[in-house]
Amino acid sequence: MTFPQFALGALTLLPLLGAAAAVVLPHPARRITGVVTAVVIALLTVPVLVTVTSGELPELVLGGFDAPLGIHLRGDGLAAVFLGVTSLVGLILTGYAAILPKSTGTFLSATAWVPGHPGFWPLWLGCWSGLNAVYLSGDLFNLYVALELVGLTAVALVALGGRKSWEPALRYLFVAVLGSLLFLAGVGLLASVTGTLDLQQTREALGGLEDPTPALLALTLMTIGLGMKVALLPMHRWLVPAHSSAPSVVSPILSGLVLKAALVVLLRCWLWAVPVLAGAEWLTWLLGGLGTAAVLAGSVLALRQDRLKPLVAYSTIAQIGYWFLAFPLLLPGENDDAELASGAYGAVVALAAGHAIAKAGLFTAAGFLKDRCGTDEIAALRGAGAHHPTLILAMGLCAVGLLGLPISLGFTGKWQLATAAVGAEHWWLFLVLAAGTLLSAGYLLRGIAPLLMQAEVDDNTPAANPVTVRERTGELAVLLLGVATLATGLLGAWVSTMLEVGSWW
Amino acid sequence: MISLIDVVLGLGVLAVTGLSLIPRSRLVMTLGFLVLGVLIALVWLRLDSLDVALAEAAIGTGLLSGLMVWLAVRSPLPPGAGAMETSPRIPWLRPVVGTAAGVSLTLVLAAVWLRAEHRLPEWRDAAEAQLPDTGVEHQITGVLLAFRAYDTLLESGILMLTAAAVLALSRDGGLSAEGSHRLGVHQIAAPMPPVPSALSWAARLLAPALVLLGLWLLFAGSTDSGGAFQSGAVLAAALILLRASQVDLSGFTAYWLRPLLVVGVVVFICAGLIGPVLGLPWLSWEPEWAFAAVLSVEVLLTAGITAGLYTLFLALENPEGVR
Repeated sequence: MTFPQFALGALTLLPLLGAAAAVVLPHPARRITGVVTAVVIALLTVPVLVTVTSGELPELVLGGFDAPLGIHLRGDGLAAVFLGVTSLVGLILTGYAAILPKSTGTFLSATAWVPGHPGFWPLWLGCWSGLNAVYLSGDLFNLYVALELVGLTAVALVALGGRKSWEPALRYLFVAVLGSLLFLAGVGLLASVTGTLDLQQTREALGGLEDPTPALLALTLMTIGLGMKVALLPMHRWLVPAHSSAPSVVSPILSGLVLKAALVVLLRCWLWAVPVLAGAEWLTWLLGGLGTAAVLAGSVLALRQDRLKPLVAYSTIAQIGYWFLAFPLLLPGENDDAELASGAYGAVVALAAGHAIAKAGLFTAAGFLKDRCGTDEIAALRGAGAHHPTLILAMGLCAVGLLGLPISLGFTGKWQLATAAVGAEHWWLFLVLAAGTLLSAGYLLRGIAPLLMQAEVDDNTPAANPVTVRERTGELAVLLLGVATLATGLLGAWVSTMLEVGSWW
Repeated sequence: MISLIDVVLGLGVLAVTGLSLIPRSRLVMTLGFLVLGVLIALVWLRLDSLDVALAEAAIGTGLLSGLMVWLAVRSPLPPGAGAMETSPRIPWLRPVVGTAAGVSLTLVLAAVWLRAEHRLPEWRDAAEAQLPDTGVEHQITGVLLAFRAYDTLLESGILMLTAAAVLALSRDGGLSAEGSHRLGVHQIAAPMPPVPSALSWAARLLAPALVLLGLWLLFAGSTDSGGAFQSGAVLAAALILLRASQVDLSGFTAYWLRPLLVVGVVVFICAGLIGPVLGLPWLSWEPEWAFAAVLSVEVLLTAGITAGLYTLFLALENPEGVR
């Protein structure tokens, strides 16, 4: 067994081991366990990325039992890109949580609510294990199990925010479980007509099937289920309360990483598990339409928020829309050629990866301000920028990524999407992209500009309290995310070459 | 082909489902749910799925009913008296939309399900051919702990983290009480609702039998139906019964709960790591010592599942105090 193959298994199982250890340890040791595990995961990501860059596909047959009996782990291009992004964002956020324990939520002692939640560490490491399991899985049922691991820990992480976050967490739980069940129903239907659970074998078996109806129904069920988990527009209402009431280091995990797990599963279903189906065009157009609505409505709703965290959460809903805009281009139709489809696919991945980094940075910054000032009302935060120049710089860099300005992965994604739209002569996509970009400039300005204004009554704002060394270091972590937003913009070509490995076309 | 028993069972399931949904008293709903569980287990038996029937009876009915009985005793009336709020302007809209959606969903699913050409699973032959290498004789145990051990491992991870979430939402966030190694959760101190004395002695009488049944299910799993999940559910039920009849379990909870919770997952991952150490893939076990590995993993997983399910029961106590 080669080292990259070892890394494939270890990327899932070591964080789970870390989570188990954290359950029995006291609070300071949990922090150390968390940081050590994060560093090890980041190091284990490297051999997988190197192998994929060299054009090889690392694959591990667990237990030596071949599919359809056993489970395969495949580190293809899609997996590699999201593993890399998750390790980068996860490492920085772990460091942030270790430096500023206040950001991990509040727990109830015998007498009062105490900031700094020890329950964060096992749950976050478990969530990370689930994320890596989702990216690497080559088996439909295993995807369901991994998705459950992510969903359940994500719900529990929201609930760490104290009394006010319990209700949003419960709502999130219901949506997540319902979404999982719909996905499982689709998996069951596919397994009953193909007789296998392995992604590649499912595709081959479905290709030989005359009647596309079961596959189409399964795809519809899975798309609705995953649409709930990814918070596509009409199914988005759970996201804003959950993401904005979560503890300040949990919100970036949810918006940046957890949503991407559902997106990856959706792409696996549409592009890997199911071949191009005759009747699937209407579904792609429906998704494209919902994506358009999400971009427009999400941005307008973000513009109307008075508080910073809900504003950032609504911006997530708008950004989710971009990923679905590309769906009508994803499946090669009669006139379009496969190159357009691969371009659109590259656009979705670049947009989602760029969003993971930029949104993690912006949400951490918003949470930092909320923790420090006790409120995230934009009016009350006026002038906070004078005391936190580093933080404002980081927020600006992240905003560049969310707007899709060069240089950032957001720009690469929008550029690829526009190119594919020109090729397919879908001119409406330009309008949506332009409107979305303008609106996002509006809401980001609305969120960030007041921080730079002169405060009305100086020195009285909570932000004027002396800043501790720990807080300064936390600001640097956010700046790191901002810099990463721009730096990854230079890696667009690398991402495209990686996506070639083990691709569906 | 369809016998009278099947028809009666089917109608019974429908009737009892109504009974567990429509009434407004939580106690009646809970009893309806209990009976439903028994009927569903019988349905699984009729379908020749002994393993599913056991799991359904132990986890679906046994444990879930235990949680629901507790809830029904603590607060008999659901908030809002159990009725859905009707829309103020068009009161018939919600029921009509709900019924229409339900009917169309059932029709589409049934049509596709009946029309589709079903294929037998392709892993059947492979499973039979490779079963001797796994060290177990029962196919389902082979699937759970050898062929798809990775799924089982992630699932036990889910149960462990669910319990970790419960502990995190308890008082003191699942940490030891200050200056000691005792788990500082509040539930140990909270009084249980009063129960009739008959239950108390019945629980003490039943507990040894339940423990015996749980262990039998565990060890039968390698050759026959049963296994870690069913056995863990029965053992957790014994713990819940003991706690409900006010037997003092505080020492067990304070010192043993957290270690038991994680030991199954930790040993499972370590056993999976033997493969890479020997140059084999993750989670592979050589036929010579496969049985030893599977058995020790299964025993410790049972401990983890027992602790995890019992922790879920502890979650019922509100950390802010009884409202």
